[in-house]
Amino acid sequence: MNWERLRNVDRRIIFLAMGLGILIPLLFPVELPVGAQRITTRLFETVDAIDGQKQCLMISSDYTPQTEAENHPMTIALLRHGFTRRIPVLLNALYVEGAPLLADAIDQVMGEFNARATSREDSVIYGRDVVYLGWQPPPIVPILAMGESIAGIYVEDYYGNRTDSLEVMQHIHTYDEVGIVVAITGLAAPLWYVQLAQTKYGVAVGAACTAVCAPDFYPYCATGQISGMMAGMKGAAEYEEMVDEQFALGGRRKATEGMVAQSAAHLVIMAFVILGNISYFASRRKKT
Amino acid sequence: MNLSTDIWVWVGVVLTLCVYSFLYKDNPFYRFGEHLFVGVANAFTLSFMYHRIIVPIMWRPFAGAVRIAGEEGITPELFNPMAEANFLVIIPGLIGCMYFTRFIPGITWMVRIPIGMFMGYYTGRVVPAYFEGSIFPQMKGTIVTQASFDPAMGGGLMAGIFAVIILIGVIGTLTYFYFSKEHKGLIKVGANTGIVFVMVGFGASFGFTVMARVSLAIGRFVFLLRDWLGVIS
Repeated sequence: MNWERLRNVDRRIIFLAMGLGILIPLLFPVELPVGAQRITTRLFETVDAIDGQKQCLMISSDYTPQTEAENHPMTIALLRHGFTRRIPVLLNALYVEGAPLLADAIDQVMGEFNARATSREDSVIYGRDVVYLGWQPPPIVPILAMGESIAGIYVEDYYGNRTDSLEVMQHIHTYDEVGIVVAITGLAAPLWYVQLAQTKYGVAVGAACTAVCAPDFYPYCATGQISGMMAGMKGAAEYEEMVDEQFALGGRRKATEGMVAQSAAHLVIMAFVILGNISYFASRRKKT
Repeated sequence: MNLSTDIWVWVGVVLTLCVYSFLYKDNPFYRFGEHLFVGVANAFTLSFMYHRIIVPIMWRPFAGAVRIAGEEGITPELFNPMAEANFLVIIPGLIGCMYFTRFIPGITWMVRIPIGMFMGYYTGRVVPAYFEGSIFPQMKGTIVTQASFDPAMGGGLMAGIFAVIILIGVIGTLTYFYFSKEHKGLIKVGANTGIVFVMVGFGASFGFTVMARVSLAIGRFVFLLRDWLGVIS
């Protein structure tokens, strides 16, 4: 067999194989179980334990459209969890490009809940159950300033309302009233919250990150500085499934939908890695 | 098949295909998509920053102060930085404008003022926070104590074993990156142990990177198949 040829396979063939590896499972999906890792369960339990009468869930995002496929399902799952448990949810964006994505997520999940609501109490109402604080640059400033006053740094919310006039903000003033900040990120936002906000104000921090970032946060999960983590699309799928199992909400679960394609694509990559190694050792033996 | 009639979906599809055409080879369609993205992202950031930051945080308070000064005269309240209308907001605005002096020959040195302030603020804030939030807790997390093995104190046999493995990994990796002495004898053993941990770390990072990139491709494929072609539900 010509191992040299296999070692120099055209990269476009690899792209084509990867494309088919993703396309075929999406067209002909099969059921695959999504087992939850302990680290994701810990995040779910921490959010679930928030007393909605006293504290809120804060979702802080720095993701942009580039990582929407991984990060957006995390936002949706967290919003569904918060709304179902009647925990007030505050959101802020640390980067401008991602700011409208959070508004879309709020609209989508509010729409899902309000379509089922039978009374005002059942409904999710902006200002009472959820507030989108918007964007304030640079990230270090709001992260630190929210320890003194959330309405002080976010004078107006994303939609131009005065933040201190909103119902939920009458009892949420600083990190003292935040159960956990879940930083949804394609960068390093959870570490900024750990280093700047947790050390000074003691707020609990969770991470919901792209898979690329996940290795950076595992040591912080081990020391307990990060209370729990959703790592990549897999982590998002696990959280989606936990929310669905616990509360039977239904609705589209984008991360779970992609899991079969993800597994198939990983098999393709593994096959290429194995073939590459076999051809390398075979051609080396031939030379000697 | 249920082809989308939404014009914005079609725009998204054309741009997605333009960018993916790079997988075959570099071409004008890819470069069009790339340049369009950079332009739109910059324009969006600038306009958002103008409307959400410059106008409400700097312009409105300053214009308000000018109006009040015109109507009621200059009062000490107009120099209160916490007041809704005050003159002081113009100071950080002017310092920020000094960035543009880089383009004016003769006074380009002034750009050092905002850069110096920015770096000073960040360094002062971030360096102590890094030590307090990362270095010290992570060092503490590396120390193996009796508690690591004691179930009553949150540990256990497996937790203890993992704690020892982490300790060996940290010492081995630090030894590998110790270049002041030749890697011989005990140091060589430590460095060789360290390289194993480094390689495992690289492998895990590569695996996570593959997962991330595949996730993004899945996102685009779902967009094409569901939102555009309507062939999956």
